Amino acid sequence: MKNFKINHRTISWLDVLDLHGELDAHTASQLEDSLKLLIDSNKSNIIVNCRELEYIASAGLGVFMAYIEDVRVSGGDIKLTNMNERVYNVFDLLGFPTLYDILDDERDAVEKFSSEV
Amino acid sequence: MSQSASKDELKSRFELKTVLETSRMLIESRSSDFVLNNLLLIVMGKLLTSRAAILLYEPSSQSYSIQKSRGLSIENDTEKINIGFKDEQKQRSYAFYDDFSDKLPRLINNMEKSVFFPLRTSSNHLGFLFIGGKANGDAYSARELEFVESLCIISSVAIANSKLFDELRTTNRKLDRRIHELNTLFDLSKEFNLLADRQQITNIFKFALLGQLFVRTFFLIYKTPKSVSLLASSGLSKKPDKKEIKSIFEECPVDVLTPDEDCLERHPFLKENQIANITGISIQNEKIAVIGVGKRLSGEAFAETDFNFLKSLANLAIVSIQKTYFLEERIDKERMEEELSIAKSIQRGLLPDPIPEIEGIDLAAENISSREVGGDYFDVAKTPDGSTILAIADVTGKGVPAALLMANLQSMLHVLLPVEITLAEATERINNLIFRNTPIDKFITFFWGKYNSKHGLFRYVNAGHNPPLLLRNRSNTFEELSDGGLLLGAMESMMPYEQTDVEIQPGDLLVCYTDGVNEAINPAGDEEFGEERLMDCILENRNKKSAEIIREIEKQVREFTRGPLQDDLTLLVIKATG
Repeated sequence: MKNFKINHRTISWLDVLDLHGELDAHTASQLEDSLKLLIDSNKSNIIVNCRELEYIASAGLGVFMAYIEDVRVSGGDIKLTNMNERVYNVFDLLGFPTLYDILDDERDAVEKFSSEV
Repeated sequence: MSQSASKDELKSRFELKTVLETSRMLIESRSSDFVLNNLLLIVMGKLLTSRAAILLYEPSSQSYSIQKSRGLSIENDTEKINIGFKDEQKQRSYAFYDDFSDKLPRLINNMEKSVFFPLRTSSNHLGFLFIGGKANGDAYSARELEFVESLCIISSVAIANSKLFDELRTTNRKLDRRIHELNTLFDLSKEFNLLADRQQITNIFKFALLGQLFVRTFFLIYKTPKSVSLLASSGLSKKPDKKEIKSIFEECPVDVLTPDEDCLERHPFLKENQIANITGISIQNEKIAVIGVGKRLSGEAFAETDFNFLKSLANLAIVSIQKTYFLEERIDKERMEEELSIAKSIQRGLLPDPIPEIEGIDLAAENISSREVGGDYFDVAKTPDGSTILAIADVTGKGVPAALLMANLQSMLHVLLPVEITLAEATERINNLIFRNTPIDKFITFFWGKYNSKHGLFRYVNAGHNPPLLLRNRSNTFEELSDGGLLLGAMESMMPYEQTDVEIQPGDLLVCYTDGVNEAINPAGDEEFGEERLMDCILENRNKKSAEIIREIEKQVREFTRGPLQDDLTLLVIKATG
């Protein structure tokens, strides 16, 4: 089993998912389950902290693609933070910065969420 | 004089220094934006003009576009500009607007004394630097013009370099993307090989496609031998109904199709979900899947390479999905085979083996089971009073359920054998038990008789079974033993079953059979073997032994059907030998 793990925590009204390890075709469904769980319980202000994310494959990006609209329709957003350069390059390569808020630090995302309310 | 000379010298040194510094800065720079901005600002600062612009040549449209400008008075600076210079005119050091007002564009209201400097490398024309006239109306001095010219030469090299660098960067990025695509394909091919779960495969396929192509909307239509259905989707505002699924599948070619207006009108589903293209995937020349994807969210159009990626990934996924269906089919088939072999062994176990010998009678019985194992059953058993029970039955259904019901019947029959009740009463009990213990759609046609060899008496009850045929010695007509009552298990006994006695005399022949005999079908499927043929066959072979008569009937039935038996075939023949 590859090492991929998701931790869920909250910062006041925001939900934070900490991704650890390698997010690939095999582990994409775990991220899907976590996102689904949040969306189903009407939690749509989500920060995905990628500090410990070492690798991301297209299937991992696809999960974000599949759920961004659901989240935005209910007035929320998914903001991505703390990516290492390698991970950011993949996001950038496929055009993600045009659609997603990708921020340097989790604190920036918290601030941005607060100012959007 | 000397003072002014030294001032001139100073100025010229300063200019030289500027050129040198600029050249160093420009050559080190890799951003064409930076280069252009610098060129413009240095020139404006040095020549004290407030109006200037850089026009870059676009070979594809053979026109110019304004890249950087200050103080222009044209409204739309994104418009393409035509400059009708011949190639040799582009080689000039500079051109005054006043000399070429028919060819050069008007960029400011007062174009007097403005100058165009060609930007070029030794092999390429890049564009022009435009500077408006001096604010004070003076003409530019030769030295000023020379200064700008040298800046233009240096900048041109830098622009060309940065252009090359930009191109390299774009190419590199394209390459990175290809590599990423290849990695994705490689990873997924490994992943798919490990998976046998269709849901997991389609999910991974979906996410990889969404991520790699940067789209939100996706659907996958898949064709099995049984139906065409939506196997996976994402981001659809409404799922297509059966009819839409079918028509989209049928219309899509085995290639990428970008639906035109007509197509979108025909398929509102594609229109509503803003599907940008659909792709048919075939395996071994048979179209088995259609994949639709929405627009790219970055607005970037799909390129050939995207389609190639889509096709490669889809092929991988579809082959794996097909594999899961094959696997299921094989498991189903194996399960069915296993079930059949169980049914067969139950059936075999229930039939008497060996068939007991009975005094004064030549008895033979045979069950030939079809591939699917029908519910035929026969029995021969001695009773405590020295009589013999002969039974034949056909249970509804096939396979294990039929075999179990058959086993039920067999055990009831054997339980009732030693009990002192009449055949009719026993039939009634069996009927009630079967009716209570089985679902409403399960029943049994059943014929049984008790033969007493001492008196040559055969007492029978027929519960809805094909009437056995009795052919008397020296007679050519058959008697049908049809008296009895309703078939077993259809309803609770309302009326008692009727039992009938027939006398059996030496030379008499009784043939019991199941509907596998008379209802056997010819290859054309339009004719049954029928009782007529059965009777003829019995008449032809009446002098043979029971076992041979059975073989003859079986032979004729097989000749008639010319293929494997559709249903079990069971025959029980007794011949009184006296």
